[in-house]
Amino acid sequence: MAAKVKQLPSRGGTPAEKVYLIEIFKGMGITLRHFLRNLWDNSNLYVRHYPEVQPNIPAHWRGRHRLLTHSDGTPKCVACFMCQTNCPANCIMIKAGERTDGITEKMPVSFTIDLAECIYCGYCVEACPEDAIRMDTGIYAFTSSNREEMKIEMDEMLSLKGGYTEEEYQKGLEDE
Amino acid sequence: MTTLDIVMVIVRVSISAFVPLCFLAVCVTMERRVAGFVQDRSGPNRAGIYGFRAGGLVQNLADGIKLAFKEDIISEHVEHKFLYVLAPIISMAAAIISFALIPFADTLVLDGKAYVMQGIPWDTGILWFLAVTGFSVYGIILAGWSSTNKYSLLGALRSASQVISYEIPMGLAVISLLIVYGSINLSDIARFQGQNWLGFIPMWGIFLQPLAAVIFIVAAFAECNRTPFDLAEGESELVAGFHLEYSAMKFAVFFMGEYVAMFASSAVIVTLFFGGYNIPFFSTDFLIRNIKPVAFVMLVILPVFMFYFAKWIRRNNRSQYPRENDPREAEATVYIRCFWILIGVIEVFLLAILAFAQPDTAAAHLLVALMQICTFLLKVTLMLFVYVWVRWTIPRFRYDQLQILGWQKLLPLALLNIFVTGAIVVALG
Repeated sequence: MAAKVKQLPSRGGTPAEKVYLIEIFKGMGITLRHFLRNLWDNSNLYVRHYPEVQPNIPAHWRGRHRLLTHSDGTPKCVACFMCQTNCPANCIMIKAGERTDGITEKMPVSFTIDLAECIYCGYCVEACPEDAIRMDTGIYAFTSSNREEMKIEMDEMLSLKGGYTEEEYQKGLEDE
Repeated sequence: MTTLDIVMVIVRVSISAFVPLCFLAVCVTMERRVAGFVQDRSGPNRAGIYGFRAGGLVQNLADGIKLAFKEDIISEHVEHKFLYVLAPIISMAAAIISFALIPFADTLVLDGKAYVMQGIPWDTGILWFLAVTGFSVYGIILAGWSSTNKYSLLGALRSASQVISYEIPMGLAVISLLIVYGSINLSDIARFQGQNWLGFIPMWGIFLQPLAAVIFIVAAFAECNRTPFDLAEGESELVAGFHLEYSAMKFAVFFMGEYVAMFASSAVIVTLFFGGYNIPFFSTDFLIRNIKPVAFVMLVILPVFMFYFAKWIRRNNRSQYPRENDPREAEATVYIRCFWILIGVIEVFLLAILAFAQPDTAAAHLLVALMQICTFLLKVTLMLFVYVWVRWTIPRFRYDQLQILGWQKLLPLALLNIFVTGAIVVALG
């Protein structure tokens, strides 16, 4: 699709505009209006008082990753390496092993995501054939004082819960 | 020299040396909060001591402590270490002493002796200001050159060309003012503006010389390196310009120098164009002769003003989200009590003056001088607000635009203004 080009009329050519001071005073009028309105009552500010007031995170927001489990608590992941292959940031490291509980043949022995490398593109979620990895925890703030702590392991990801109901999540996928 | 003489010298020098420094805190806070409000955000309002944030003033303290304890680096490649260290000192010292000759109250008469209310009681007046602020640019040029860094050098170069293109219109604007006022002494200039024109228009410079006022204010903005003329800094093009290599307190001294220079040039603008220390419509003589009615009016106005100020504090100093036992409301209560106590103390003094003082006594003179100092500082604060306000409205000029404005627009206008003023003054005799 071709980009829509909007032609704006060229400004600044009239004598009144060339004097420049008049336009400056107009601009100063605008800023003064904002200033006085906010000085009069600072509840007029367009500010969210973070961190006391938290933002509303929509369901299709790509937050921290979690690994899903079957109803009996075993991981859904079959260690197919789809997400690792797809990852543009190369932040997923899977080690596969044999699965003994009879559900499938393979499962990950370790599943590590380096969140310092991750670009939160969501390709791992899209690539997963088993719906085993999702980014629906709604966690958007994740900090650490060293790089090693930014690597999250399988146990931690399995223990995270989704921030939304299944219905909301599916609707979020459609919105996206 | 009597004891009174010595006390008056100390008072005057300390006012002219420390008031600009105290106003640093006001300037920086005002800059950041006004910037916030203009852009519909709140500015620094979290730093506090035991929850007392003083409207963002505590943030300055935090920043000051941070800068004082940072590592003071002089890079290896800096060849002229002495000049490198000297540059911020020049910048700051020139800014502070440029305030020394500005009168902050009318000549105070105590025991039949007159005291000129300036830091240094000289007659050189406006010439001193022009000379010393011109000198402050050496700080910037030296800093840029001795940093041995291409961005700093470019900043210094721009500053040098800026000085040439702005000193001249500024000086010429001052000449047309001097034709009107007939004196270079700032005390005389301020006293001249205490008169009224046709009985109701104060004879302020802005009404007598509007064109000179515009030229001088524009040039003063350039003089202080403030937006829209902060080309020497130009953080979007030159990283940080002349102070790029400076860290910790050396940077802080530059930073403080900028705000002190802003204060001094606001004071000069106020003195030249907005009546200086004069309270509009009321001359010093009038106030001294009618000290009792003046004290009575103050006695009534102050509590009324404080009542509305307290309401404003209540409305704004609270958490703007649901919060139980809001500590900010308790904080507001403390502030309001402090202000009421202050007002109470002032009221007691005013009552004493109302009861005992006779017109034309030392008490009357002192009260009028204090009122004039407050008026002067209020006017200067408003001018500082204009500086901040302009900074957050207008984008930076380009290098060549600035030169064109200085040489092709302001210079001819200033010359024209001198001729017109001269013709009118000669015609009126």
